[in-house]
Amino acid sequence: MKTVKNHFGVFAAVVLAVMMFVSIATAEEKSAVGLDGSTTVGPIGDAFAEVFMKSHNCSITVKKTGSGDGVAALIDGRCDIAMSSRFLKPEEFKKAVEKGIYPVAHTVAMDGVCIIVHPSNPVKELTGQQVCDIYMGKITNWKDLGGPDMPIVAISRDTSSGTYEVFHEKVLKKQNMAAGVEYVNANPQAYARVKTTPGAIGYVGLGFLDDNVKSLKIDGIMPTKQTIADGTYLVSRPLFLFTNGYPKLGSVIHAFCIFYLTEEGQSIIEAKGFVPMTNY
Amino acid sequence: MRTQIRQSLDKMFTAFAGSVVLLIAGVLLVVLVPMFRKGLSAVFFTETVEFRKLQMDLHDRGDERTLKQELERVAAARKPIYDILLAFSRGLDMEPRVKEVKNIYQQYGEYLNYRNTPKEQYTECRKQAKEIRDTILDALESMDKQVVLANLDKALAQKGNPTFKDTPVQHFFTVAEQYRKTAQTVDLTKRSEYLAGLRDVTAAIRQLFGPLPGEDEPPLPMDQYGATRMDMARKALHTLLWDEQWIADGPGKPLVKKIIARKTQFTGTELEPLFDRVEKNFNALLLPRHRFYWQYFIDDWVNSHYFGGIGPEILGTLLLTVLSMLFAVPFGVVSAAYLVEYASDNIWIKIIRICINTLAGVPSIVYGLFGLAFFVITISAIGKPCILAASLTLSILVLPVIIRASEEAIRAVPQTYREASLALGAGKFRTLVKVILPAAGPGILTGIILSLSRAAGETAPILFTGVVAMGPIPNFGTPAEWVRNPASIFGGLFQPTRALSYGSYDIAVGDRISMLVPHQQFGMVMTLILLILVLNVTAIVIRSRLSKKLRGH
Repeated sequence: MKTVKNHFGVFAAVVLAVMMFVSIATAEEKSAVGLDGSTTVGPIGDAFAEVFMKSHNCSITVKKTGSGDGVAALIDGRCDIAMSSRFLKPEEFKKAVEKGIYPVAHTVAMDGVCIIVHPSNPVKELTGQQVCDIYMGKITNWKDLGGPDMPIVAISRDTSSGTYEVFHEKVLKKQNMAAGVEYVNANPQAYARVKTTPGAIGYVGLGFLDDNVKSLKIDGIMPTKQTIADGTYLVSRPLFLFTNGYPKLGSVIHAFCIFYLTEEGQSIIEAKGFVPMTNY
Repeated sequence: MRTQIRQSLDKMFTAFAGSVVLLIAGVLLVVLVPMFRKGLSAVFFTETVEFRKLQMDLHDRGDERTLKQELERVAAARKPIYDILLAFSRGLDMEPRVKEVKNIYQQYGEYLNYRNTPKEQYTECRKQAKEIRDTILDALESMDKQVVLANLDKALAQKGNPTFKDTPVQHFFTVAEQYRKTAQTVDLTKRSEYLAGLRDVTAAIRQLFGPLPGEDEPPLPMDQYGATRMDMARKALHTLLWDEQWIADGPGKPLVKKIIARKTQFTGTELEPLFDRVEKNFNALLLPRHRFYWQYFIDDWVNSHYFGGIGPEILGTLLLTVLSMLFAVPFGVVSAAYLVEYASDNIWIKIIRICINTLAGVPSIVYGLFGLAFFVITISAIGKPCILAASLTLSILVLPVIIRASEEAIRAVPQTYREASLALGAGKFRTLVKVILPAAGPGILTGIILSLSRAAGETAPILFTGVVAMGPIPNFGTPAEWVRNPASIFGGLFQPTRALSYGSYDIAVGDRISMLVPHQQFGMVMTLILLILVLNVTAIVIRSRLSKKLRGH
């Protein structure tokens, strides 16, 4: 009796293995769309996917690993749409083309990188140069900027984030940050750090502004939807979706990439705290 | 003398060890208690009527008729508040007023056209209406109370004019009357100041009770409902009643926070009674009730975790853990048996042992990258991140732990067992299967328990190999499909999944929603810990049964 049972176990295992291989061979392609990339654009991707899965019969997956990783995933063919809070770098383009991937950018929204300080800080305005000096370690105390005698705690995003790249390029003019700068992993952390530290300065997306932090005028311009949309604010940036070539017309990816043009898409973007591309 | 020193040393050591244990227990309490307290508030909380409405809309839960009655009750309670707000904002927010007045004028033109009014009369009527319109518009634009009132009176003087009887022009007079009421109570020069305060008040009211009547439905579900939980409602009430301001405290000094009652900011205006009304009728406005939201563990979330539960995350974590054990345990136990029972003690085996020990200490992200390079990219049959690739990666991660534990367990089986079995005529393989492995069972299970918790909690190995922040629940087909195509039961293995570990990371780095709903984040972490606890307890129960059986009970 025992041996029969054992044989049955072996038999079951073999059947399972065979079925598994069969299923590998016949794994059918459903209309599934994979998104990967920036943690900043991620919320837009999430919200779009939620609406989209209800209206279209498709499955959409969203993953937030950062702009750089998202682009790498697109180049490797691991995702269909890469979300990015910065434009592609030349070497990424080169690598993509070598692999036969032709990235096409879809600009879904605008976002401003707002410089924030603790609400108890009396400083209201800084110039771009002053912010640059703070992050390069040339200015280390708020009293040099007309504030109280308080050391400056500079908070920056990690170097792989798209927000960092934009800040690094537009404010620091690609110069290196000082060693004392504190790095945090994501927008909520930067916000939380500034909210709880009286001497802190940091930068976050427009959607994170509220009464618990104070956003500064930069070069005399306040970050608002208006100044970000027309680019007068120093650190405005478009947010992108990248696809491999222009998506096939009529495909789910195409519908997804032009969803931001619809009124629903635009109002979602606005509700998420970003600046829509048009005055719908 | 020396004995005394030894004894006191002994005591000191006991005291030290005891205090270390106490310290660890204390730290655990300090970390776990708040986590569980906050996490449990995702499941046990005081719901409001908005929550019941949400549950009905999304899941058809609850009794439709009682909900309808409740909604009617709160609507009646909320109406006076909306009325106060509307009346006050009419007096302040000029843009919609101006638009309305211009619209009325256009309507009047259409009205006249529709009546086929003769041309001369038409021009005359339009001219008169235009005069009224312009007087009202002037009044709306002016900041001077005298001018405003004079203009409004001038417009209202036309009220009895028979030309405008029963025409759209009558609406002009309603607008004018409403505005005159506001203008008499409100200091018009402070209009912009009031307007900023009003914006905050409206936002807080929206947070409490959902969109105001007559407003378009917001695109995101989080804005479509008011406060669904009392803790969130109380926060919104606080922002409604109190205004935080940062006041200068002298040059070169940081600003000082000052909390001002909003009521005092609106003293003497129509808005003033609103604050007391909301505060006093707070329960009648929201109808709070205690709730055990067990569906938190099966519901899908809505709007980036703002509402709903974490069902798909739990399912995903369970799938990944169980599957990885399914792959890792047979391989781990077999290789441990080989290493102990069959392998001779040569240099190669030593190298393999060192390799296994090293692998146990490799950071998990390395496994993640290996999984990405090997299972996802190299093995083309998998080809994309999915449950299969992720659980295979996890199984490699836990393999060294299982091998080590099983090795020790098998080695601990007394030599006499083997000898007895061999003496009875059993071969080496039979001895292994029938005698050694069952005897080593409890030890092997210890290794499995350890690796189970590790597999469930890891994020890095699955990050690149098969986990997503948002996506559909893996589809394993229906029984009907299994009959048609037996392979379809494995289709789900080739889809990515959500998981608790990555989910809690995703909430933390996502948008500001995470900061609005901390209970969701803590709930997820708590669930992960509970899940590991349940898995562990199950394994421990099985182990104790096994060892009881071994002891012959």
